[in-house]
Amino acid sequence: MAELHIIGHIVGATGFPHSSLFCKWGVHTGGAWRLLAGLKEGQTQVDIPQTGDMAYWSHPIDLHYATKGLHGWPKLHLQVWHQDYFGRCQLYGYGYCHVPSSPGHHRIDCVTWRPLGSWQEQLAQMFVGGGPQLRSPDLIYSGADRYRLHTEAMGSVALELGIIMRHFDKYGVES
Amino acid sequence: MTTCRVRVERVTSTAALSKHLQQQVLSQPGGGAIELETLTSRGQTEGDNEEELEVGWQEKLFSQYEMELFQNESACQTPLDRQYHTEVKALNKAKGRRNKRIFTYTDHDRYTSCLALQQLQTSSDLLSTTKSSPTFLAERMASVRHRRQDRRTMDGSVPKSKIVNWEPTAEFVKSSHVVNNAMQTMHIMGDLAPAGRMGQKENEYLLVTIKTDGSGTVIVKPDFNDDKEPYRIVTAGDKREVWRLTVKNMCTPMQPEEKEREQNVYKDLYVRHKEYLNSLVGQDFEMPPVGILRYMMNAEIVSAKGFEYDNLYIHFFMELPNNWSSLPFQTLSGVTQTCRAKTLGKENVAFFSYPFSFEAFYMSEKESEESIPQWPVIYFKVLSLDSWQRFRTEGYGYLLFPAVPGKQTITCHTWRPLQTGTVSALRRFFIGGSPELEDHSYVRIPGTFKGERLSRFGFCTETTGSVTFNLHCIQQARAFVDATMLKKRRQNVFDQLGGFSQQGAVCTILEAFQRARKKMQDARESLPRDLVHTTSQLQVESSA
Repeated sequence: MAELHIIGHIVGATGFPHSSLFCKWGVHTGGAWRLLAGLKEGQTQVDIPQTGDMAYWSHPIDLHYATKGLHGWPKLHLQVWHQDYFGRCQLYGYGYCHVPSSPGHHRIDCVTWRPLGSWQEQLAQMFVGGGPQLRSPDLIYSGADRYRLHTEAMGSVALELGIIMRHFDKYGVES
Repeated sequence: MTTCRVRVERVTSTAALSKHLQQQVLSQPGGGAIELETLTSRGQTEGDNEEELEVGWQEKLFSQYEMELFQNESACQTPLDRQYHTEVKALNKAKGRRNKRIFTYTDHDRYTSCLALQQLQTSSDLLSTTKSSPTFLAERMASVRHRRQDRRTMDGSVPKSKIVNWEPTAEFVKSSHVVNNAMQTMHIMGDLAPAGRMGQKENEYLLVTIKTDGSGTVIVKPDFNDDKEPYRIVTAGDKREVWRLTVKNMCTPMQPEEKEREQNVYKDLYVRHKEYLNSLVGQDFEMPPVGILRYMMNAEIVSAKGFEYDNLYIHFFMELPNNWSSLPFQTLSGVTQTCRAKTLGKENVAFFSYPFSFEAFYMSEKESEESIPQWPVIYFKVLSLDSWQRFRTEGYGYLLFPAVPGKQTITCHTWRPLQTGTVSALRRFFIGGSPELEDHSYVRIPGTFKGERLSRFGFCTETTGSVTFNLHCIQQARAFVDATMLKKRRQNVFDQLGGFSQQGAVCTILEAFQRARKKMQDARESLPRDLVHTTSQLQVESSA
């Protein structure tokens, strides 16, 4: 079996309408992968930047996977939420990206989008907040149902991940 | 047993002279003839000018001042004081204490923490200016009481409740704002008063400080100097005297058997942990069949920008050239969601964040003369769909799978076929609809192309925006297990010859791949069928 270490952190998010943000993140893998150590999902703190637009979290990610095959390479999913002055939480974006497969240090910018409802819902969203959310974010991974969504582009989340791969070259994997 | 030997010696003129004379005498040949006794100073007892003492860890030695203090029972306030009182009484009954000038403050004494602050105010050894008051942080660090912190957890677990302390007390602030390792301290002090005036607190000087924490760090300040020049201490007061201080380490080293035992314990621990991890991980890994290169790509469509209309979506599909095949359930096409763009800088950008993965197998049918195989291609088109259900093609593009594994970010530019004339422009604007390509592979090399020169003369297009992809490519083949060794060796030769190492790497991989495959084929023919182990699920279909 080969082992994969993902060591890094979620730096922060930028480009969203308001900056009081927090992030729910998780790593999703195929069936051949096994998590040996680390937490594969979590939620950051709420960060309210005083100056500038970028909300910084510096949330650590430290995962150790063992795998029997190359299928189902880990994918990272992110949900960026906004907490406003009154304590209400509102979804600001979903983002999905693959964990890099080449060893080394990677700086990843994962862009996010938010589902849009009808124009009435959009109007209400402008005043009251809220807005449509996905019933089950995991369905997005298969990609088959995506075409039914109408979304709008939101900001992007910056991550820095270091990837260490072990025993992959013993099985003839080049990456 | 941890001990150290401390020696203080007053420097007086006669002592210096006698030492100098002694050295002179010793350096002469046959110098042992002169009696050294004639050169020792008289009139002053030994104990007044020098003292050498061996001090153990946390061994309490009383000073003159403390002896006098703890003799009275009324001066004792804490149980520790009372204990000292009994010890002093016992010492007085016995032959007295064995130290005269050198004494110690152990961890439990109340003076131990005050000394740091005192020292801070008097010493100015950090900077060259004499009048510099200690900074705010230095004061904080010095006044921290070095006590054991039981509540600090070492494993970094997060407490479930009370993460934030909204009303910190002054004590809490002092102990958590500065670095506060739990250290056991011991000060070795010297009463460096002139003869006959011992027992006063002003003449106490700090000689050596020894600190240790539970994890095996021992700090000795000043350091052992038995092989170097002794330290000089200048006393304050009317008579400025110079004392020499020597500190020597007298600890017995650990026995070699004990050391070995410790090493063995560590080795066992690590080996056991490694075995545990190995048991979790296992030994098998899915390998492609012999002679087949598996190409796996994890990609995501990141964004599209610079297009004319809004609400974009991308429809893409992959094409496999000859000798490539894929699994039956593998989807080779996809459609993203429709995304409304936002303005970023000067352009409108739509974010898709659409991950997809793709796996294909390459098997060369014959020993081909072509050294570089044809790689698969993704053809995509960008369309816009607005609320009036108007459809427009925004652009066509293609992306060639990279030959080198690794991470790549590729931006593909797109174009749209254009019909000159106002009619088509009006139609595009009002009702939607625009000319579309019948054969998508026309974007790159049409499938029906035969010949040497591709001519697109007469075809009119308009440049539209660009689409960004993130690609992570992995290649796997059995031949690579040996090829990595060959590649490493071959690269050196290429570098020596001045060749391009990247191209060389690709060629050498393929060469080694062909060679290994040939070897495997020959070996396979000579073996009976059932000994060859292949993954049964994989059905290799060669594309028509």
